[in-house]
Amino acid sequence: MEFTLKTFIFYGFALMTVASALLVVTVRNIVHAAFSLMVTLFGVAGLYVFLQADFLAATQVIVYVGGILVLILFGVMMTSGRLEMRIHIERGQLLLGGAVALALFMLLLTVIANTPAWKNRIDDGTALPPTTEKIGELILNGPFLLPFEVVSVLLLVALIGAALISRKEVRD
Amino acid sequence: MTVSLISLILLCPLAAFAVFGLLGLANRRFPRQDYLSTAAMLIALACSFLLLREVVPEPETHTVNWVSLGSVTFSMGFYLDSVTAIMLIVVTLVSSLVHIFSMGYMHGDPRYPRFFAYLSLFSFSMLFLVVSDNLLGIYIGWELVGLCSYLLIGFWFEKDSAANACKKAFLTTRVGDVGMFIGMMMLFTKFKTLSLYGEGGIFALAASQLTTGDMVWLSIAGVLIFCGAIGKSAQMPLHTWLPDAMEGPTPVSALIHAATMVAAGVYLTARMFPILTETSSLVIAYVGGITALVAATIAIVRFDIKRVLAYSTISQLGYMMLAIGAGSYVAGLFHLTTHAFFKALLFLGSGSVIHAFHAMHAHGHDDEHEHDDSDAHGHEHNEDSDSGHVLGSEIPPDQDMRNMGGLRHKMPITFITMLIATLSISGVPFIFSGFWSKDAILAGVLGRAMEWNSVHHYILFIMALSAAGITAFYMFRLIFMTFFGEPRNQEMHDMAHESPLSMTVPLLILAVLSLPVVNTLWFNAAYVKPPPQPHLHAPAHAYIAPDTKGGTGLAFSLFGVSEAVAAEENAGHDTHGTHADDGHHGHGPAHTIAMVLSICVAGLGIFLSWLFYHRRTLSAESVTTTFRPIYDLFWHKYYFDEFYDGVLVALTVWKARLFAQFDGTVVDGIVNGVGVVTRDILAAFTGAFDNRVVDGIVNRVAQVTWAVGGRIRRIQTGAIQTYLFVVLAGIVLLILIFRAL
Amino acid sequence: MTLQHYLVISAILFTLGIFAVLTRRNAISILMGIELILNSCNLNFAAFSRFVTPPEDISGQIIAIFGIVLAAAEAAVFLAIILAIYREFGSIRPNEVDTLKG
Repeated sequence: MEFTLKTFIFYGFALMTVASALLVVTVRNIVHAAFSLMVTLFGVAGLYVFLQADFLAATQVIVYVGGILVLILFGVMMTSGRLEMRIHIERGQLLLGGAVALALFMLLLTVIANTPAWKNRIDDGTALPPTTEKIGELILNGPFLLPFEVVSVLLLVALIGAALISRKEVRD
Repeated sequence: MTVSLISLILLCPLAAFAVFGLLGLANRRFPRQDYLSTAAMLIALACSFLLLREVVPEPETHTVNWVSLGSVTFSMGFYLDSVTAIMLIVVTLVSSLVHIFSMGYMHGDPRYPRFFAYLSLFSFSMLFLVVSDNLLGIYIGWELVGLCSYLLIGFWFEKDSAANACKKAFLTTRVGDVGMFIGMMMLFTKFKTLSLYGEGGIFALAASQLTTGDMVWLSIAGVLIFCGAIGKSAQMPLHTWLPDAMEGPTPVSALIHAATMVAAGVYLTARMFPILTETSSLVIAYVGGITALVAATIAIVRFDIKRVLAYSTISQLGYMMLAIGAGSYVAGLFHLTTHAFFKALLFLGSGSVIHAFHAMHAHGHDDEHEHDDSDAHGHEHNEDSDSGHVLGSEIPPDQDMRNMGGLRHKMPITFITMLIATLSISGVPFIFSGFWSKDAILAGVLGRAMEWNSVHHYILFIMALSAAGITAFYMFRLIFMTFFGEPRNQEMHDMAHESPLSMTVPLLILAVLSLPVVNTLWFNAAYVKPPPQPHLHAPAHAYIAPDTKGGTGLAFSLFGVSEAVAAEENAGHDTHGTHADDGHHGHGPAHTIAMVLSICVAGLGIFLSWLFYHRRTLSAESVTTTFRPIYDLFWHKYYFDEFYDGVLVALTVWKARLFAQFDGTVVDGIVNGVGVVTRDILAAFTGAFDNRVVDGIVNRVAQVTWAVGGRIRRIQTGAIQTYLFVVLAGIVLLILIFRAL
Repeated sequence: MTLQHYLVISAILFTLGIFAVLTRRNAISILMGIELILNSCNLNFAAFSRFVTPPEDISGQIIAIFGIVLAAAEAAVFLAIILAIYREFGSIRPNEVDTLKG
């Protein structure tokens, strides 16, 4: 595999994603963590582009960065005082959590490395047609219509429930 | 007709009592219970007279089946013969007069209506007893009479002496009743019936079924039934209740303890006459004879006017028993009839005297002892207080003859009537009924003795004769002390007065009834038949020769009685076929001898009494001193009460103490021991077991659970991250494990 | 760029997310870890869609889109719960919210 610009950019995104994700889980300031998460989400969106999933990348940016991240930031603002900005991490918990996470990671790597069906799947660089129209067809006029409606209702319920839970109780 | 009459006789007094009882349930009272009860009694009396005209030669029985128990059927019914009719007359007549007398005597008593209700119940009971044709009915009436006696003796139950007397009467008669019941059961076991008359009755069965071998058994049964009569008719040795029963109101004494209730025993014995064997007859005769003599001797030394009469009653009842035992069935019943009237008269007369003194009772009490000291019989009185009168209660001053004297001017009617009765009971010849009945008995006893020519029958005759003389003596002593001489207690004497009309009229009526001519109305040959069944014992009946009656001419009753007794004799002889030529055989002298002797002893008794108590030629004190032991014996009533107190009562008390001690030590000990064992040992053991073992197990389980829970609890940190950690670690481990496998 | 590149990146993101969830003492940090995990999942779906299934088949991408929607719903509910907890306990430290502790 030759080291091209495309490859370079890919590794850049990969590094950006992994590094920022590392920051998310390590920085003590929660606001910093939130902004690191934003970088991670952008990085993932870039990776989607490399996978030629254009609609998915756009959705990632709009929903995650524009919606979820803002939501998280609002949550930080509403729940944390100045002191709460700092994230406490206990050493013992850190060690145990790290050990489990590491074990899990090793396990995943083993699986990835040893699964025959996943070997030698190389991106040959062929350009595929844009996916938006296809996705629209599949969702609104295809086999995914029912799941789409179900998810829509789920989202609606979740939003209503969230509004119900989070509102201040009206004392009558 | 007869049935309805008898029913009416029974129902009238019962209704009078029922009115009292039913209104009493509603907490109300019939305003004139005395009129009601008296009217009921008078109706019964009228019915009795009507019934007397109804009696036919053949006895009537009217029975209905009452209850059936298996194969045994108990019947209830009436039996009507001449004896029944006469008893009905006696009971209703005396009862009516007592009712009338009571209206005056009991006037003002707080329980005046109740008294009349009791009288009605008593009359009903007695009448029921009389007309019953079977032993069960008789027994029911018998016990009812006992109950009424209890109620009436204890009528003034505020007095301890009255309360004790009624208990004593009830318990003592009960002793006899037990014997009677056993006797009844013996008959019942043998004959499977309690009916007396008719084809299936006891008498018929006894005559047809029994053999000579059964005589011992039948004798025992007869004596046991006679035990009931001993109790009820106050024979030796169960006589002690009757004098004490004088604690009841005097009309009660007249009604129950002279005329009717005690007569129930005689009546029963007479009814059972057909099954009395030779042996049981002898027992009855001796009991009667001894009773007659002993009671008479006791009566000599009494000072309480009512007690004198009480012992007199016992004595006369003994006569009747003696007559029946000696086979003079008719003579016994005749004496029962005449005695009922003159003894009722005597009691009512004494009641009149007591009533005259009643007003004294209140303020005469304080002076009692002073009078006693100055008393003419002070010596005897001191004896009284010295000798420690064990059971006899103190003599009430209004009943003490030593407080009386010279009353004949104050109370002429009472005096005259009582004198008539006294003459009658003493056996003064010819114009008084008592002479004839007593004479008939004496003649009967002597006749039997002569026929059998055995010593013990002469002993019976001698006892009867002595009793007759003594009776005359003490009865005139009573009259002399009460009505003659100088007033011994001037204060009481001044207060005394003749009784009201309601009391004197019954006295007069009874006085008339003490004349023999009146008794012929109901007691004559046309009515009195010999017993309906043949006698089981060899007959040696009283015999009154018809030829001896002629001389008198005054006493019509004599004709009747003589004929009746003669007929009785014939019947007896015919049955047994021993001999029957003309019914006049060989015993003519018996009657003559008996009559002469009877007149002699009566005259002697009266004369001595006159010497002692009127002329005072002889001193009672000196005689007393001379025959001190005998006097003491009489005074202490032969120590019967002392004996019962010292032996029976003491034995009972000792036994009770023993049982109490047994209870206290053994039974309580066992109970307490069990309690202690249970409480101190078993309970301690189970308690320890509970505390240690059971509680230990429970506590251990709880502790283990608690401890385990405490340990396991820590797993539940509540920290979701820990949970998640465990879950992930588990997943990793599981994958590694399966992969390794 | 092979499938395994993506899978490794995804695994790293997943592990980091797990690590955050296990160790962070702040509910919002935990939420961020969850977002990382969800992103790694979506990335996997997209990668498998690209490399394993035929290129015309984009079902994996559609599943990923559904995953994003679920993530949005989850985030909304999660934050609502955090707000409620904060109101109740005055804190969003998960170790202080231990009502379930035995």
